[in-house]
Amino acid sequence: MEAGKIIATARDEGRHFLFEDEAKALLAASGIPVTPCRRAGSEEEAVSLAAEMGYPVVLKVRSALIQHKSDLGGVVLNLADEQAVRRAFQDILQRAAAVDAAAAVTVQPMAPPGIEVITGLVADRQFGPVLMFGLGGVFTEVLRDVCFRLVPVTPAEAREMTTAIKGSRLLDGFRGGPPADRQALADLLLAVSNLAVAVPGIKEMDLNPVTVYSKGLLVLDARVLLA
Amino acid sequence: MPNDKLAILDRLFNPAGVAVIGVTGDPDRVGYCLLESLVYAGFKGRIYPVHPRLDSLLGLPVYRSLDELPGPVDLAVIGVNQYATVDMVEQCGQKGIPGVVCIAGGYREMGAAGEALEERLIAAARRYNMALVGPNTLGIINTAAGLNTSFYPMRLPVGRVSLISQSGGVGLTILQKASDEGLGINKWVGVGNRSTLELSDYLEYLARDRETGVIGIFLEGTDDARRLVKTAAAAARQKPVVIYKAGRSEAVNFAAVSHTGSMAGSYRIYRQIFAQHGLLVAESVAELVAACKALAIAPLPAGNRLGVITHTAGPSIVMLDEVVRREVEISSFQPATIETIKAALGENPAVVIKNPLDAAGHGMLAASFGRLADAVAGDPGVDLVAAVYCLHLHWRFPSRELLAVRRRTGKPLLALYVGTQAGVREERDYLQAGGIPVYLTAEEAAWGAAALAHYGIRRRGEN
Repeated sequence: MEAGKIIATARDEGRHFLFEDEAKALLAASGIPVTPCRRAGSEEEAVSLAAEMGYPVVLKVRSALIQHKSDLGGVVLNLADEQAVRRAFQDILQRAAAVDAAAAVTVQPMAPPGIEVITGLVADRQFGPVLMFGLGGVFTEVLRDVCFRLVPVTPAEAREMTTAIKGSRLLDGFRGGPPADRQALADLLLAVSNLAVAVPGIKEMDLNPVTVYSKGLLVLDARVLLA
Repeated sequence: MPNDKLAILDRLFNPAGVAVIGVTGDPDRVGYCLLESLVYAGFKGRIYPVHPRLDSLLGLPVYRSLDELPGPVDLAVIGVNQYATVDMVEQCGQKGIPGVVCIAGGYREMGAAGEALEERLIAAARRYNMALVGPNTLGIINTAAGLNTSFYPMRLPVGRVSLISQSGGVGLTILQKASDEGLGINKWVGVGNRSTLELSDYLEYLARDRETGVIGIFLEGTDDARRLVKTAAAAARQKPVVIYKAGRSEAVNFAAVSHTGSMAGSYRIYRQIFAQHGLLVAESVAELVAACKALAIAPLPAGNRLGVITHTAGPSIVMLDEVVRREVEISSFQPATIETIKAALGENPAVVIKNPLDAAGHGMLAASFGRLADAVAGDPGVDLVAAVYCLHLHWRFPSRELLAVRRRTGKPLLALYVGTQAGVREERDYLQAGGIPVYLTAEEAAWGAAALAHYGIRRRGEN
């Protein structure tokens, strides 16, 4: 599905945001590597999607009323087999029912561990869309070690962003870990910047977390707000 | 900005005739001071004070209304209250006056009622295609024309630095500091509420203005941020641009709204986006002035490698602290330079030969200081030089020597003369006329050096 159609669907349903499966489809259409994420309307569908993707998998709640999925127990990680998928499916819907009786579930494969970073677009009141990049977790939330650039960025600026954060050395491999693929990261930042320009319907974007490996990277979760 | 807008701004800054509306005979009132500012600065065009009853003021005939003005008027300075200002703008428009400076506040910055009044003001200006500076502003200054539309009479040194300020008070701070530093000003504008002219409009004008060599900006915040940064980046390809952005704390947002009607925005985002576009960001008025001063007086270096010559270590350490967190590198001297320095120092000197070069006792007399400065500046790995010397009752400053080094090497030099303003004034004026900016503190000298390095590495070879 191309970007315009994904956004039109959300708008038709009166939504100002994309579900994770939609957001990832939009990213994938722009060549951004994502973990596949599919909507499962039933327990049987969840099981067959899990088998298709390969275990272990992750199940997440898919609801227009629940923006912070993990707050309501809407994310269950590392499901190793069919039985675990069935139980998680039931649990998630049961917990969501109090808020949204029409909630569904998404299925995605569990990604291998790597270095976590975040990127996205911030809608700045004065500048408009601004590209953001930082290391994941406490580095962003506690230390606010993030950098900003006006979009569109050039390839050189995208590459420079990966070194502009204070924790940049952590990307070189820390305490024996493998170095992160900076070129893949720069490519991601450039692609996000290009998306902001090509799809003006996007207001904000939050790719969090993105796991970077010694070769390549994967976007594990994505939120998109529409203008 | 369309060319006609730039042309109107050019007429505003170089008016043949200025009408001053709202003059009074009372020096305690703004209206009197508006007129006095023009007279005091020696305005070269015609001045037409307007008042319904007065006959003459400050030796000038006063006109009863705009209808009675005998010559062409390019600019009207309006000093009446915010309500009467709207009517006066309308009248100026009817007379075909192309530009107005509206001094009064009491508009958008006051909330909804003020906003409605400002809309009427804007409508009047638009109706006649007029350029409106402000409202809520001190207006504009052009030192070469002797033009000062503010109610602060001043005589400023004339020079190449032009300034855009989103605050009258900070704008004045910059002007006064520049005066103290012997730094010449070209043009100045307090943008006020920016009803019809944005920061970017003035910036475009100053970027093209041949008399402006360096542009300094004080910024609180603007919804025009994207255009501002693009305009500033384009301007910085013509001439250096230095920006001081307020608003590092959240508390500033509220204060800024009630000041000029704009949010300060995120300081981090501003700062990083300015840096992305190659713009130099200052963190204080002092840094803005120090940077503008270096850029206006010294040539740009070919690179960012600083050599330091001093006879006292402390100031050079403070300088290093400031420059290395900017974009300056401290080079190591080449073997030939070390030999030259050794030869200048003589037998068994108590000096460690490294950069910064602390010559201690060998640097206290001007002649030997000059030989060492020459060696440092002559090093092929040094792009610019900072020389540190302390005011002394008996020993003379090495000013002649530094100018000789400047001429021989063609490289930019900065002087840190530790002393009082009065004690260094003569030497300062002498050095600055010869292209060497002089500073009194190590921090300011460092900021000057960092500014030269910043634009040196970006405009290499375009000097």
